[in-house]
Amino acid sequence: MTGRIPPAAWVLLLLGPAVAIAAPPTSAEMAARVDSMLAERWAQEGLEPAPAASDAEFLRRAWLDLCGMIPPINDGDEVSGIRDFLSSTAPDKRARLIEALLARPTHAAHLANLWKNVMLPADSNVLRFGGDAGFESWLRGKFADNVPYDQLVSELLLATGQANQTGPALFYTALELKPEELAASTSRIFLGTQIQCAQCHDHPFDHWTRRDFWSYAAFFARLQKPAQPQQVAFQVSDAASGEVTLPESDEVIAPAFLGGGSSPDDGPASRRARLAEWLTSADNPYFARATVNRVWGLLFGRGLVDPVDDLGAHNPPSHPELLDALATYFAETGYDLRGLFRTLASTRAYQLSSRSSPGDDQRPELFARMAIKSLTAEQLYDCLSEAMRRRESPQPGQAQFGAVRVADQSRQAFLARFRAPAQGATEYEAGIPQALALMNGANIRQATDLSQSDLLKALDSPVFSTTEQRVEALFLSALSRLPNNDEREKFVEYVDSGGGRGDSRQALSDVLWALLNSAEFVLNH
Amino acid sequence: MPHMSRRDLLRATGLSLAGASLSGWLPQLAQALADDPARKRHCVLLWMPGGPSQTDTFDMKPDHANGGQFKPLQTSVPGLQISEHLPKLAALADHLAIVRSLSTAEGDHSRGTYLMHTGHRPGGPISFPTIGSCLSKALGSDDAELPNFISISPYTAFNSAAFGPGFLGPRHAPLTVGANNSLQPAQPTPGQQGYAELGVDDLHNPGVDQAQQSARLDLWNTLQTGFLATHASAAPRAQHTVYERAVRMMRSESARAFDLSGEPDSVRDAYGRGRFGQGCLMARRLIERGVPFIEVALQGTGGGVLGWDTHVQNFARVKSLSEELDAGWSTLMVELRERGLLESTTILWLGEFGRTPAINANGGRDHYPRAWSAVLAGGGIRGGQAYGRTSDDGTTVEEGKVDVPDLLATLCQALGVDPGTQNISEVGRPIRIAEGTPIQDILA
Repeated sequence: MTGRIPPAAWVLLLLGPAVAIAAPPTSAEMAARVDSMLAERWAQEGLEPAPAASDAEFLRRAWLDLCGMIPPINDGDEVSGIRDFLSSTAPDKRARLIEALLARPTHAAHLANLWKNVMLPADSNVLRFGGDAGFESWLRGKFADNVPYDQLVSELLLATGQANQTGPALFYTALELKPEELAASTSRIFLGTQIQCAQCHDHPFDHWTRRDFWSYAAFFARLQKPAQPQQVAFQVSDAASGEVTLPESDEVIAPAFLGGGSSPDDGPASRRARLAEWLTSADNPYFARATVNRVWGLLFGRGLVDPVDDLGAHNPPSHPELLDALATYFAETGYDLRGLFRTLASTRAYQLSSRSSPGDDQRPELFARMAIKSLTAEQLYDCLSEAMRRRESPQPGQAQFGAVRVADQSRQAFLARFRAPAQGATEYEAGIPQALALMNGANIRQATDLSQSDLLKALDSPVFSTTEQRVEALFLSALSRLPNNDEREKFVEYVDSGGGRGDSRQALSDVLWALLNSAEFVLNH
Repeated sequence: MPHMSRRDLLRATGLSLAGASLSGWLPQLAQALADDPARKRHCVLLWMPGGPSQTDTFDMKPDHANGGQFKPLQTSVPGLQISEHLPKLAALADHLAIVRSLSTAEGDHSRGTYLMHTGHRPGGPISFPTIGSCLSKALGSDDAELPNFISISPYTAFNSAAFGPGFLGPRHAPLTVGANNSLQPAQPTPGQQGYAELGVDDLHNPGVDQAQQSARLDLWNTLQTGFLATHASAAPRAQHTVYERAVRMMRSESARAFDLSGEPDSVRDAYGRGRFGQGCLMARRLIERGVPFIEVALQGTGGGVLGWDTHVQNFARVKSLSEELDAGWSTLMVELRERGLLESTTILWLGEFGRTPAINANGGRDHYPRAWSAVLAGGGIRGGQAYGRTSDDGTTVEEGKVDVPDLLATLCQALGVDPGTQNISEVGRPIRIAEGTPIQDILA
């Protein structure tokens, strides 16, 4: 690397390594370092980065990425609401916004939802009966307390207890306690490696062998099996014995860590306790890299290694030094996940505009422009709810908020219809059935119904004296911005003329319909 | 993704389709489809939720106590017999390849439904797509006026993932017609003329008339034009394209495929007045308009949606279901044959498992995946045969054992789709449409 020496490195040069080791760079220092590493690459490629996103663009993006929904027009904290944020002249308002969003319960709820979708297979039998609510709730608590990520993963791996009641044990039930499934999932989720192909044959691209796979799977060979195969109510616990064998042979495979290192059964620690210790230890070369890559992918639309859980020699990172630097930083900060989100959201790169014209360089792996991301099914539902001010009670912010959402039937039906695979955030995945549902379905009918939408009802209030103000309120609610001049003129004229039905109140509902179906609304840009 | 110019954007959805009269062009359209040498293939999956009894339908055991009370009926193919309650299908047996040697490993409704729809057992990190998503993706075209995968009266509550597009993403999800997932009986729900009513979910908003809809789309176009002009990347373009297709469908003549009211009563009656029969009629209309994959479910008649799950009163229920099945399926084949479309349409009759050859104390039959039947028919299939054989008591497969991957690979081959066609899963691993080997004896 030949760029400017970042501030943190100056500290190291001046004070010596002992001090530097004791104090990892601050969030702002690390963000600056990320930016300089990206900028160095842009210079090499002769690429001009996109301009900075406007305040309105940044506000909406930060809300969607950190809290899973669009911003409200007004918010109690004087920072996060649209009107407060846009009118504020404070130079540090973006940093304050990030801070405020990270502290919200909806941030924890959003992360819990994302991680649940990564951790639990979508077709699991357990989920048919809503068993994932407890799991999501457990995750939410951990994220709300910002429990260090290594500790969170350890707790998950060491989960014991009633499988259908406690949160983390459900991970084991969902994967049916099968060593091979647990091996494939844990290595993919926490280590970012695809060893499952080696289950049946040596990996064609990567260097994993069948023996590597089954040695790793052996860590899950000593789980107590339920008496009945389909039994849901049983205790997840360690058993005294149990082995895996190489398929189509009787050869017992002893546990060994990925990348070498056997783990003999000669101490009191259970096999999965030994795995958890190794997996989250500072010596593990995969854990921190896989995690920072996943978080990078969430915020930037694609990982530094993409797909985010396929790290390996066959699939090199776009920015190897950057990935290493972030992994080191993450480990040094004690696996502070919230800190990682703060740092990445504070970068200039995260705050670039997503605008582009036909013919612009679209190489997404250079991160010279913000990617346009599809909303998850959960984000879309919550955005529709927010845009029509249909708040579930209790209000967001109270402890039970997430629990109520999970139980919401209409939400569940919507999610089933819009669920997309976790990969490919920059693809628009929905098809005709989803478009029809968004144009004509129950949710949109309710959202644009004059008697049911609190937003449309509020437009009757004396606070709004002109059509222009009402149209502006709809734009702010749905798109978090004011209409431009062309839009303002066209939409105001439409409403004043009474629209398709000759009724100006109905015409306002048409405006809302158009806004909620627009690409600008259903994408995170 | 084709490039879209600003002019394309401006005229987007401002289109009005030339209103060709319906009666005039349809027969010609069907004829043109049939004559085209590179014509598209179609697949109809007749899905039997609950698990149909093979012993009382396609693998009769008249000489054994397990055989039950139904009599075998000689079909149009010498030596081939099926149930007496499937007489119309018996007359079309030269189109049927009955697979009597299916043997699978899942006897639970949810797991069996997933296995038979995806070819894979549930669990693990990969969300496998339902076979309709894979085949409609392989056979369909991105700019078709109607969706490539339409599912009629699906019962998805056993395992919704079994009916979903999995890692292929929601674009490959089926458009559903009259989904019924409640445990309440779906039938009879006769419309005005005594026919089951079927309609596309969310095709129209009943509270919005044409003028208001157009006005809304005009506003929408203003927003789209502005945003797409300044955000020239893939996701906004894709969203716009999908919406254009959906709007086109809401307005198009093609959407009339879903309106059965113009069909003569004699035709509607021949299919049967229930949801399954009317669904088969709709399938014919969709095939005429080029839709590559249609799934039609036969839910219960009166006794609840899980008609085929005959733990009790097996014989009365299977008799009534068979009559409905016979009318819908046979009329579909006859009408497709008349239009020259049967040879480009492959039909698969399938449930999540079979039922015990032994009759239980309640006069019922229980779940049985070890030895059971499926039926292939129509295009690409060597009809007029029974493939494989079960033992005299029906409990084991004695000849030609077939597992799901081979069955699905055979279906692919019959449709002219290479079963080895790969799609990339969410974990980055390439996955074949069907892992098995096509059974050559079943293929034409």
